[in-house]
Amino acid sequence: MTSREKILNSIASNKPALTTLPNVPIFEGDGSIERFKTVLEGIGGRVIEVASKADCQAAIDKYYSDLKNVASDIVKANVAVNLDTTKEILEQVDLAVIQGEIGVAENGTIWVPEINMLNRALPFITQHLVLVLDKNNIVANMQQAYNKLENVGSYGVFIAGPSKTADIEQSLVIGAHGARSMMVLIY
Amino acid sequence: MNHQNHPELAEAFNKDFERTTWHDETLWFVRQKRDKAVYPIPEFQDLRTLASEIKDHTLSNLDNYLIEFEQNAIKNGVKVHWAADAAEHNQIVMDIIKSSCKVEGRNTRMVKSKSMLTEECHLNAFLQKNNIDVVDTDLGERIIQFRDEPPSHIVMPAIHLKKEDVGETFHEHLGTTKGEKDPQILTEAARQHLREKFVAADVALTGVNFAIAETGSFVVCTNEGNADLGVNLAKVHIASMGIEKMIPKLHHLSVYTRLLARSATGQPITTYTSHFTKPAEGKEMHIVIVDNGRTQQLGRADFRNSLKCIRCGACMNTCPVYRRSGGHSYDFTVPGPIGAILSPNIDLHKYSSLPFASTLCGSCSDVCPVKIDIHVQLYKWRQIVGQANELPAAKKWGMKGLAKVLSMPKVYDLGGKLARGALRVLPHGLTHNQSMNPWAKARELPDAPKQSFKEWYEENRK
Amino acid sequence: MKVALFIPCYIDQFYPNVGIATLQLLEKLGVEVAFPMKQTCCGQPMANSGCEQDSKGVYAHFVDTFAEFDYIVTPSGSCTYHIKKHYDIIEQTPAVQKVRKSVYELVDFIENVLKIEEIPVDFPHKVGLHLSCHGQRGLRQANASEITGVRDGQISKLLRKLKGIELTELDRNDECCGFGGTFCVAEEAVSARMGQDRISDHLRNGTKVLTGGDVSCLMHLEGIVKRQNAPIKVMHIAEILNGNQP
Repeated sequence: MTSREKILNSIASNKPALTTLPNVPIFEGDGSIERFKTVLEGIGGRVIEVASKADCQAAIDKYYSDLKNVASDIVKANVAVNLDTTKEILEQVDLAVIQGEIGVAENGTIWVPEINMLNRALPFITQHLVLVLDKNNIVANMQQAYNKLENVGSYGVFIAGPSKTADIEQSLVIGAHGARSMMVLIY
Repeated sequence: MNHQNHPELAEAFNKDFERTTWHDETLWFVRQKRDKAVYPIPEFQDLRTLASEIKDHTLSNLDNYLIEFEQNAIKNGVKVHWAADAAEHNQIVMDIIKSSCKVEGRNTRMVKSKSMLTEECHLNAFLQKNNIDVVDTDLGERIIQFRDEPPSHIVMPAIHLKKEDVGETFHEHLGTTKGEKDPQILTEAARQHLREKFVAADVALTGVNFAIAETGSFVVCTNEGNADLGVNLAKVHIASMGIEKMIPKLHHLSVYTRLLARSATGQPITTYTSHFTKPAEGKEMHIVIVDNGRTQQLGRADFRNSLKCIRCGACMNTCPVYRRSGGHSYDFTVPGPIGAILSPNIDLHKYSSLPFASTLCGSCSDVCPVKIDIHVQLYKWRQIVGQANELPAAKKWGMKGLAKVLSMPKVYDLGGKLARGALRVLPHGLTHNQSMNPWAKARELPDAPKQSFKEWYEENRK
Repeated sequence: MKVALFIPCYIDQFYPNVGIATLQLLEKLGVEVAFPMKQTCCGQPMANSGCEQDSKGVYAHFVDTFAEFDYIVTPSGSCTYHIKKHYDIIEQTPAVQKVRKSVYELVDFIENVLKIEEIPVDFPHKVGLHLSCHGQRGLRQANASEITGVRDGQISKLLRKLKGIELTELDRNDECCGFGGTFCVAEEAVSARMGQDRISDHLRNGTKVLTGGDVSCLMHLEGIVKRQNAPIKVMHIAEILNGNQP
């Protein structure tokens, strides 16, 4: 008998009688930009409202003028990143500007599917991360977010703020392994 | 291993009064952060109920969900493996590495994000014996890996250490300045050190927080970004999951993602909630599904719902005993209340003291985001330990004697009278002798009154 | 309404004044109380130690002693919880079911059976309430901080209405005292430390009189108070409600 059969047989003989699967309601809640902003800033992110998607460039120029290597398909970039980009090049990226799809006001998280990432490693290896988000795509909570999300594609991540850790004496440190800072440009 | 281990290790922990204070307050701080994150969510209790019921249902149909998951994962181009126990899990990981990550002239390099399952399987030691360099990339895990210690908490593996301890360790292993203890600086040193490891890795291993039957996807939650950084840079991704990680549908994640981080650390959500469905072009993704005692626990009606655990660690943070005895006092991969109900399933003899490492205060059950009745299960394990003759002899015979006395009112009345009489006349030094009477080490005995209530009642009311 | 008083073993032997206060209080509130003399214990000490099977005789004796009554009132949340929750291992005869349903913790009985919301007693002291876990989380007599930030419960409701009383606001409102039955000796180090930490919280926040619904917790805490010579007087809630003064 393979381990697969062994495990499945053991489950079949040990599991309890079938219970019903509850329905998960789509809970109501505050899906305002204000709440999204407050929560995300509370976990170390920064939120800037811009007039339109076209204005993202001006914001990047304003806030990140000191960063050299930029990867993006939204604003001017000087590092070309695609699926085949090597680790050595990815490692040099200072700033990645990427499209986010859904923002969640309750927890400040933003859905980023693989197709927006240019390369799966980019949102994590970049020193600084900017996500661009349409304000009409902010929902209240995760029920509403998953409801809006038709599928998760091959790979996708909810990202909430910069990389962080509190593994040393519970002292919060921003910038563990991933992005040292995270900004959301809402248009 | 002595089966009275927890009290002894806890006593040793308590010898350092200040450090015990610090440990208790640090974990209580996390519990308070959890409260602040939980109270404002009006439907939090509804979410707990949903989370519990979804998991109950999943366990009641687990074989079918695993099959559904497997089929969908295979369709997605993921390779699925099954391991009956820890040894098989480790061998499977080894075999994947051998066939997929051939390297010449050096050891294969693995980066690993936090996985309690691989701790349970003692994977690191096994791989290292087989010439595979394993680097734990979660900061807390890396710290204890340097120190060659087991984790003391499932979410905050190095919570037993002070920043001075970490500073010392990093000085030794990473060359930070001696005496440097600023968490910011130490974390930066780890970042630089681990970035090299990420870029150089051949294979990345992660745990699994949730596996979704409907889509064949699995979800990994981290704050540091180490899981994503590892797997997206390495050629091969291996994900190790216990069979209990299943949930039926994608949208069920909406329940668990609202509960997990709030319960664990008081964050509204983990920084990264990563959904892996298909490997990237030219890369490999493997899932190892592990039993290692879980199906046996599924067969124990009183204890099966411990398999609902989503490993948030809230029961540890809230447990007044854990906070004052430290994770290592449990001597099991998963410490604290949840560990005390999981461990006897693995080895009743070795872990027989753990169900007693609790006052049965019930805080763990009330804090649990999936409503595991932890304190009820602790009580039930105690009975099994008692029935299996694993109680210390003095306790066992003492309890048998006490039970006899308490079912015979006359004997009870007389016994009480004699005992009180003795307590009144014996010198304090004898009644409070610390080697004979553990009560008296830190406490006075109550005054022994002349009359019991019964005697008073007989004299005044009959 | 036939009401019996159950005085748990350790109260009978070591804290007869709590038993007396309970009896007097119930009588003041107009209840006619019987005290069956053959009572001993609810069986909890053995059961919590993993010897539930050995307790069956004690359970049977308890049921036999109290089955004839409509209400069994006891100044202990812990014993009440044990009878309600853990008498499930003996055959559920009508008598067993009746006893499990009829047993009430004293304050619960006062508020929810007698429907009394206020007791006319002067108690001009700063009082710290220790919530016993079995009363609070077991019988749900008080809110749990894991569930809500609102600190409220049956005992604090009655206490708050006493004349002149001031209630201590604790840093940790419902942390266990560390008694835990045989835990208090089997895990002596942790038990003592938990108790010491509770007393520190009370001292830090000004408690002069420490009270609660369970003598077991109070016995442990009083043991620490006395060892430390701390300026706290320990009284059971029955004593306070009966008008006893510290």
